[in-house]
Amino acid sequence: MSALRGIQLNKSYRHYQVLKEVSFDVAPGECYALFGPNGAGKTTLLKILATLQTPSSGRFEVMGLDGIRDRNQVRGILLMIAHGSYLYGELDAVENLRFALGLRGLSPADREIKIALDRVGIGAFADFKIRYFSEGMKKRLSIAKAMLIRPKVLLMDEPYSSLDERGMKIMNQFIRESTQQGAAVLMTSHNRAQSAEVAVKAGVLHQGVLHEIDVKELVAAHELF
Amino acid sequence: MNFFSVIRWLAWKDLISEMRSRETISSMFFFALIVILIFSFSFSMDQQTAKTLMPGIMWVAFVFTGIIGLGKSFLAELQNDCLENLQMNPIPRGAIYLGKLVSNFLFMLIVELILFPLFVIFFNLDVFDKLPLFVLILIAGTLGVSAVGTLFSAMTVQIRAREVMLPILLLPLIVPVMIGAVEATGSVLSGESVTFYRHWIELLVVFDIIFTIVSFWVFEFILDH
Repeated sequence: MSALRGIQLNKSYRHYQVLKEVSFDVAPGECYALFGPNGAGKTTLLKILATLQTPSSGRFEVMGLDGIRDRNQVRGILLMIAHGSYLYGELDAVENLRFALGLRGLSPADREIKIALDRVGIGAFADFKIRYFSEGMKKRLSIAKAMLIRPKVLLMDEPYSSLDERGMKIMNQFIRESTQQGAAVLMTSHNRAQSAEVAVKAGVLHQGVLHEIDVKELVAAHELF
Repeated sequence: MNFFSVIRWLAWKDLISEMRSRETISSMFFFALIVILIFSFSFSMDQQTAKTLMPGIMWVAFVFTGIIGLGKSFLAELQNDCLENLQMNPIPRGAIYLGKLVSNFLFMLIVELILFPLFVIFFNLDVFDKLPLFVLILIAGTLGVSAVGTLFSAMTVQIRAREVMLPILLLPLIVPVMIGAVEATGSVLSGESVTFYRHWIELLVVFDIIFTIVSFWVFEFILDH
């Protein structure tokens, strides 16, 4: 069974077609890296899969559930790490984690939260308000949140942006652990070298059309699009 | 996911954020204070005239103060794309509405309870033996304004002219609350028996019930579209 499956997805804004017959398949334990120029439709595709937008036509499945019809169940299965950090400026790191997990009915012990924050390298800033955090620190906190939630399907929009080298290593370590535990990961990226370390499948979205490519080509290819 | 737990988490988040920033309550308080000062210095009135004018002035101040708070309610969710995160979470939309309603209602009520003694002092009124009735009218009127206001705050948060659109949409709909609250407050001030103005309080209660239920059901459509 596929963890994440897109079937002839189309998305149009008025007369502009962003996605054209996009189909793909991500099995449990796989990481799929999606590349493409700015404006190619990568974020639109992720937003459709995250149930934030509906496709103009076509459908998608998450762990066998219809992404449109069963969207309430789908929302409980997946998690998205996006450009926006989804964090509240006046709450500190621990409070933000407790809030995000509380909405999903989870209440981790203090020790679990501390371990997650230490693992992403921001344990010393646990009681700092988020408005004092840099974008990289916010991204690390998003990784800690995902570590605690442990979703079956993880969507990531440019996961390496804002991260320093250590942060990118932490991100890849987290992706490896997630896939080893059976999670499916779909990420958009502009960082071919980092993505190649964790992806087992890759595709290029260009002018709305998805072309699957060999992961080995990722680093070797001179130009992808 | 526990429905009431979502309400509690959202209200907790809003109250903690407000306690730390004091952004909403302080702007509401100073606006209302200016309104009281302007009205009390504009009219030189005896106690009888004050009893006639004060209910209208007070509720106009409270409603416009409430609009300031309601306007900021969902604006905070736009920072770091937090609204997107709420949309993606596997939580009942009605619980999000009720969580926001609780925090909006409390913000308005706190400001009103601080301002009410100022009204009494500036308008030289004798209300101490009727305080429980005033508090009842205050609660019923404030709930009506926040029930409709929370819905319209969510509706207008993503549009450019939201500062203008919120009062334009909200004020016509809360006319029954204004009439009921002003009439009931005026009757209490005049020392009339409860039987003479009970129907105004009943109007407020019926409005609260109907609009809370309608907003609760409509909110899913508002948030997902």
